[in-house]
Amino acid sequence: MFSAIGLIFWIGAFAIFFRVLNYFNSVEDFGDILAMKLLSMMVITFFALLLFSNIINGFSHLYLSRDLPLLHSLPVSSGDIFLSRWISSAFDSSWMVILFSMPVFLSYGIIYSAGAGFYLIAVCAIIILCAMAAGISSILVMLGAAILPAGKIRVFFVVMGVALAILLVLFLRMIRPEQLVNPETFASVVKYLNTMQALDSPFLPTTWITDTISFALKGRWKSTLFNLSLSASFAFTLFFINESVAGVLYFRGFSRAQTTAKRLFAPLTFRGRNWDSLLNFLNRPAKAFAVKELRSFFRDSTQWPQLFLICALIVIYLYNFSVLPLDKSPIKTIYLQNVFSFLNMGLAAFVLSAIAARFVFPAVSMESEAFWIILAAPVSIKTFLWIKFFLYYIPLLIISEILIIVSNILLDVTFFIMVLSIITMFCLVPAVIALAVGLGARYPDFKSENPALVATSFGGLLFMLCAFGLIAAVIILEAGPLYYAFMTHVLGRNLSFTQIFWLIISFSTAFIICAFAIFFPMRLGEKYLKKF
Amino acid sequence: MIDLINLTKDFGTTVAVNNLTLHVSPGEIYGFIGPNGAGKTTTIRMMAGIVEPSSGKIIIDGMDIKENPVAVKKIIGVVPDRPFLYEKLTGAEFLKFIADIYEVDAQSVRQRSDDLLRQFALWDWANEIIEAYSHGMKQRLIIAAALMHDPKILVVDEPMVGLDPSAVRMVKDIFKDLAAKNVAIFVSTHTLSIAEDLCDRIGVIHKGNLVAQGTMDELNSAAQTQKAKLEEVFLTLVHEA
Repeated sequence: MFSAIGLIFWIGAFAIFFRVLNYFNSVEDFGDILAMKLLSMMVITFFALLLFSNIINGFSHLYLSRDLPLLHSLPVSSGDIFLSRWISSAFDSSWMVILFSMPVFLSYGIIYSAGAGFYLIAVCAIIILCAMAAGISSILVMLGAAILPAGKIRVFFVVMGVALAILLVLFLRMIRPEQLVNPETFASVVKYLNTMQALDSPFLPTTWITDTISFALKGRWKSTLFNLSLSASFAFTLFFINESVAGVLYFRGFSRAQTTAKRLFAPLTFRGRNWDSLLNFLNRPAKAFAVKELRSFFRDSTQWPQLFLICALIVIYLYNFSVLPLDKSPIKTIYLQNVFSFLNMGLAAFVLSAIAARFVFPAVSMESEAFWIILAAPVSIKTFLWIKFFLYYIPLLIISEILIIVSNILLDVTFFIMVLSIITMFCLVPAVIALAVGLGARYPDFKSENPALVATSFGGLLFMLCAFGLIAAVIILEAGPLYYAFMTHVLGRNLSFTQIFWLIISFSTAFIICAFAIFFPMRLGEKYLKKF
Repeated sequence: MIDLINLTKDFGTTVAVNNLTLHVSPGEIYGFIGPNGAGKTTTIRMMAGIVEPSSGKIIIDGMDIKENPVAVKKIIGVVPDRPFLYEKLTGAEFLKFIADIYEVDAQSVRQRSDDLLRQFALWDWANEIIEAYSHGMKQRLIIAAALMHDPKILVVDEPMVGLDPSAVRMVKDIFKDLAAKNVAIFVSTHTLSIAEDLCDRIGVIHKGNLVAQGTMDELNSAAQTQKAKLEEVFLTLVHEA
């Protein structure tokens, strides 16, 4: 199952890159520049991803894993423990990037008719890129663990999360992709590309890797080997720096991290009342679960960076709609606006699924080994699951509706499309949340230390597949009859009886699918947990 | 108060508990002892509604746990063998959570919580997150939580693990007080001296079977020993079985 999903993504990535590069190849003069720019952007993206995942994994592998106290009690030097943990952390953080960089390099190799040497160099280059990211990250992690006060090591996660979110926003704004679809500014495309030149400084490891690959593509082997050697020597240097830094800082940081955990913030009160009084409208068990869930979530600082990241992505999502130059398009604006709005429904639901996969699917597993409390409590599993459902349904419905309404306002869509989008999201949100809670209960992992890992389990992938299938089914069912309705409206005609019948059947089927997606997975999860 | 009738639990081909029948009266402290893997924890998990029996019945205060799980759980307090708790809550918040789940009288929650925190010597740590607690403190908190709703029945699995001597004495005294107030206590333990000292009757389970039960005199008679300590009786019964 995992392999099949991975293979589908792999083939999909290859198809997209091959098509894009093939298109670039057909553009005279600029084609090669664009292809190299894309390569540079890919390498920078890979490097940013590697740095971030190495930092997150580094903390976990080097300082927070439950087995570390046992390891440090064994007659093994802390240097050896560091080395083994650093290697496992680097491997965990890198294998996926290496795997999914392959279709990119394969596309470049085919388009540029490169020989076997290119592929060998590309594989070496990406491995060296991973080693450099792992080397830089572990130094940062060790410095962070040594500098920050003991017991507050996790604060570093937050700092990193915010930094990454800001970097991501800046990076995406620097690229200004909307400029490429604006014909008025197309003449200054060279100027646009030049603004991105800042990212190709000769002192950056990403530049050495980009140059290694691009020179290998063009068969300039001397320059290729020079850049590859430069990267490799830097990676080796980092390795030795790590060894030295670890000798001084690693055990000290680990030792500091062993002190008792403290709350980062004082309780939030207003006129002597706690924030939880805002939830007084709920019945007592539901309120107890809601308060417990919210407290546990916001006190677990490992959750925060991903929360910041999602906020940043939502801001970028909405910002991009605001800068779409729809009025400059040669295609009739009202048509394009409504097509975008329809795609927007799918995209918003996709964003919702991603959030649900990360935060809702692991919700049952996050009870962890304290799940016995639920089993022993006078609350049925059904009630427990529905409380979980509503805990996530309300905030995610609000987020989704805001997302869809704001983006539709930015797109200036018709009233009918606005209403349709709102109703569709109103049906899709509970279906996606129920899928996440239900499948999360059917495939729980009460022993996991990390909710992100639960999301990438078999059940997590199954949830994503089901959620995508559900969204696709609903959008397709609505799109067909709606297109005809729209066209008859544009042409000033009336809908035929068959078209009205089709419209009703399609929308009813979409509604039934959503209802089924709400109740079936919840029942499935309930049955499984009862027998647990 | 507690009636286990022909209770059996199998995990595939392994029979963890086999045809177990026993009765615990109100105000009685019933000790449940046996070697590792004898079926003690499985029995307790079934009584707490955490695990479903393969066959047999569990009657609590006249109610079948299978038919009235929620009503039965409302009158039981459970202390598991390992203190897994919601680590990001503070001790006081955890007790409030339990009180709300069990719908303890809202007016008395604060007072009850404060009393238990003081009684279990957790008052100074009440507003620290549980993650920072030691094993013994977590164990004390979990016992306090089990008493939060004034249960009629207390089901306890290895209550003394991780507790210091003063806490052991405190827990023993609390159990005796509860029994005096007619609470039925079913306690599984490996600490035979505690079972001997604390329990009115003791059941010995071995390989899923109840090999003997009764007062110390009755167990001595079953093991054909003369006024022997529980350790000797236990070893004799287990070796014979």
